[in-house]
Amino acid sequence: MDIELVRFMFLLTVVSFYVNLALSIYGVIAKPNLVKKIIALTILQDSASIFAVLVGYKLWRPGLTLQPPVLTDLTPTSETLKEFVLRSVDPLPQALVLTAIVIGLAVTVFLTTITLHIQKHFGTVNVDVIGRLKREEVYEEVI
Amino acid sequence: MDYVDLIFAMMGLSALLSVVATALAIRSKDLLNAVIFSSVQSVAYALIYFLLLAPDIVLVYVAVSVGIYPLILILLIKKVGRYETKQNWEQLKGGDV
Amino acid sequence: MILILVLSLTYLTYLGGLGELPPNDVRLIAKNYLNLTYNPYVKSLWASSPEAVTAIVWDYRGLDTLFETVVFYGAVLAAITLFRKVAKEKDMLQSKGMSVVVKRATAIVTVAMLTVAFSTALHGHLTPGGGFQAGAIGAVAPLVMIVVFGKRYLEDRGLSYGRLLSLRNLALTGIGVTSIALFTYALIQGGFSFIFQNQGKSLSPYSFPSYTLDVPSGGILLFFNVFEFLAVLAGFTLVFLILLGSDELLSKEFEGGENGY
Repeated sequence: MDIELVRFMFLLTVVSFYVNLALSIYGVIAKPNLVKKIIALTILQDSASIFAVLVGYKLWRPGLTLQPPVLTDLTPTSETLKEFVLRSVDPLPQALVLTAIVIGLAVTVFLTTITLHIQKHFGTVNVDVIGRLKREEVYEEVI
Repeated sequence: MDYVDLIFAMMGLSALLSVVATALAIRSKDLLNAVIFSSVQSVAYALIYFLLLAPDIVLVYVAVSVGIYPLILILLIKKVGRYETKQNWEQLKGGDV
Repeated sequence: MILILVLSLTYLTYLGGLGELPPNDVRLIAKNYLNLTYNPYVKSLWASSPEAVTAIVWDYRGLDTLFETVVFYGAVLAAITLFRKVAKEKDMLQSKGMSVVVKRATAIVTVAMLTVAFSTALHGHLTPGGGFQAGAIGAVAPLVMIVVFGKRYLEDRGLSYGRLLSLRNLALTGIGVTSIALFTYALIQGGFSFIFQNQGKSLSPYSFPSYTLDVPSGGILLFFNVFEFLAVLAGFTLVFLILLGSDELLSKEFEGGENGY
């Protein structure tokens, strides 16, 4: 195991997730199209949740093989359990991210239906145009 | 180079791939292309989840992010129009403003 | 400017914002969970499930997951509410669907998908998997069916709004009943038990069955996984059924929309 290469690649991974976060926040804020905003929002959500899983990871050491948090032995002795605790990664962030992904999908489906309504109501999904249309509506009502 | 190096090399390279895919997805004017680039990013993330030893998340992430997201977004794009055009005010109102 | 900001944030993270990355060891609470999840020597605290993630999702942090289910229920309910006029109607457009080859292939693959999803839910406490995963895998099947066969074809064969809604409510009622089943049982026996209790604690000896035959059954986890699978599957199918309606059907919802909501 080459510790320099491992450190470098891990740094590269962390930098990539930060760049992804920055790009998707830019997409949510700056792009006027609502569908583009939804796409950027899904990327933002995934990047945020992958950080949680990253915290639960563990450094590989010589002679230590990591494993997912699943016990394969159905009749464990106390030695097996000790080795399992030593080798397994953190299950807590995985459990939290798991539910967050499914709920994110439900919320995205809700955003999709709202976008369909906006499209039918205003004839466009561009937020700049929608803002001007609404101002025009209010202005006419005042007159 | 043993397999631990290989694991971390794959992780770093797929993270780089996800950055490229995200940048293209945000930049692209064609919304259909944006959805496809976003699902490429999801494939890279699924690989990273697998390398981070989270098989539970891979099971749910592949189905949700590579299967269902693109399908409902393509459905939405079919109804709202494919291109991210610069619709301006004059076009919308027929030029009488 | 943005580049500098991102790089400095990364540097801070690497210095210790998230701890040392990758961390040298997992935290103490994770070690606790890992040690106790299938530890037959400490039977007052175990979950009888070799899969630590499912044990945390439905046993150690069960109430969290219950409220996540409530959020999920609310999000799907809100999506349906926006299309309440058309939700109960059949589609007026008789779609021919795709070609015969695609239809036959899809019919076979759909059965396989649902089987995989159900087995993921049933084995959720033994292998990676569980209710949420199974629901997400299973929700792909009706989505593909609706695209390939057409919505009206499925509606004529019994896939209706009312049935999906009752399946969903049944599954959520199942989650509720399971969480208080042991409490009620203990009350009838004249004893005392906690709500959301899986295995026997030191204060109350009542417990869901730990083993079926000689395989660990995880007690409460098995029931929760199956009910959550049904709830997620039915919820997503409901939304897809509405979203995949034809334009003629959906435009009925928007009639009168120009006067405001």
